[in-house]
Amino acid sequence: MASQNTRTEIRVGGLGGQGIILCGSIIGKAAAIYSGRHAAMIQAFGPEARGSACSAQVIVADEAIGYPYVRHPDILVLLSQDAFVQFAPQLKPDGLVLYENELVQPEGKLPTTARSLGIPATRFAEELGRRLVLNIVMAGFFTGATNLLSIDAVEKAVVDSVPKGTESLNLKALMKGYEYGRALVTPT
Amino acid sequence: MERDGFPRVAKLKDGSSVEISLASAADGPSLLDFYRSLSDEDRLVLKDNVTTPGWLARFLAKLESGAATSLVARADGRICGEATLHRNLHGWSRHVGEIRLSVAADRRGKGLGYALAGGVVKLAIDMGLEKMVAQLVESQAAARKTFERLGFRQEAELARQVADIRGTKRDLLIYSNDVSHIWSAMEALVEEDYRPHEGQ
Repeated sequence: MASQNTRTEIRVGGLGGQGIILCGSIIGKAAAIYSGRHAAMIQAFGPEARGSACSAQVIVADEAIGYPYVRHPDILVLLSQDAFVQFAPQLKPDGLVLYENELVQPEGKLPTTARSLGIPATRFAEELGRRLVLNIVMAGFFTGATNLLSIDAVEKAVVDSVPKGTESLNLKALMKGYEYGRALVTPT
Repeated sequence: MERDGFPRVAKLKDGSSVEISLASAADGPSLLDFYRSLSDEDRLVLKDNVTTPGWLARFLAKLESGAATSLVARADGRICGEATLHRNLHGWSRHVGEIRLSVAADRRGKGLGYALAGGVVKLAIDMGLEKMVAQLVESQAAARKTFERLGFRQEAELARQVADIRGTKRDLLIYSNDVSHIWSAMEALVEEDYRPHEGQ
């Protein structure tokens, strides 16, 4: 979908402690370092506490990025209901919402022409052994559902971003989300 | 089919090779043969009586449920070593895995125990476990050395805790390896979401 655009605006939103910034950073790294494209990221924190609102704005483009802020996202990656309420009205009319379906109920507020896809990412992360990798499942879901970046590039960005010793489980989490996303967008 | 990096070939110190793979129910009969081939002396301090069909049935049920994950080493068509990670899927020790290791007498001193136990440690970390333990008795010097090379240290000693198959009481040594720091680093990374004194 968005791969034809020269500029794709992405907003990752959720709560502090869900790994929102890391998720956005992985998308940006995969684009800028491992896909030869341009990327910009701006992170926004809420109050200084776990569980407060948190979001990352990521731009992926084929040309230099003059304006690094997301105003009307093409893609929303959402891990909390508050983030949905806050960011859904900003989505472009033909935009895509990717959401954690145990944490977000995508009711109302979306443009009628927008698409939304959910994933039980928390459950997948827990089944893999660590709820902590929820954000990496979402990064994989983003990769599989949007086709904006190659899975190879995102794999490299994950390995480059996570602490030594955790790569294997994080890559499993990435692939879990990726395969789930691919299955949702692949015609049967 | 490859899963978690297995099967793979391990080169031993004497130049020989073994294939290490994840155990499945199909390995049951070979596993029983392996344990029955061990001498009484070798089985003296094994935690369970691993030569009975009842033990095998319980073991395979644990494999099926995910409460155990096992690696077997094969050479010349037979199993020559086995390492298992036992874990509690529920309860207050669900972050802990216990490793058990057995190697055929003719393959000892060649690095096979290290390869098997190292493989299981890697699997445990990949599962998100934070701590691994191994229960040994004082006479198992080679096994103690193997686990020490993998980062384990003696954490406790329980006097006369073990009755071996001859009924002799032995001291039990609890070796442990706490790998929680690996996941602490990931937790710190995720907590970048709410760094104090920054933002907006």
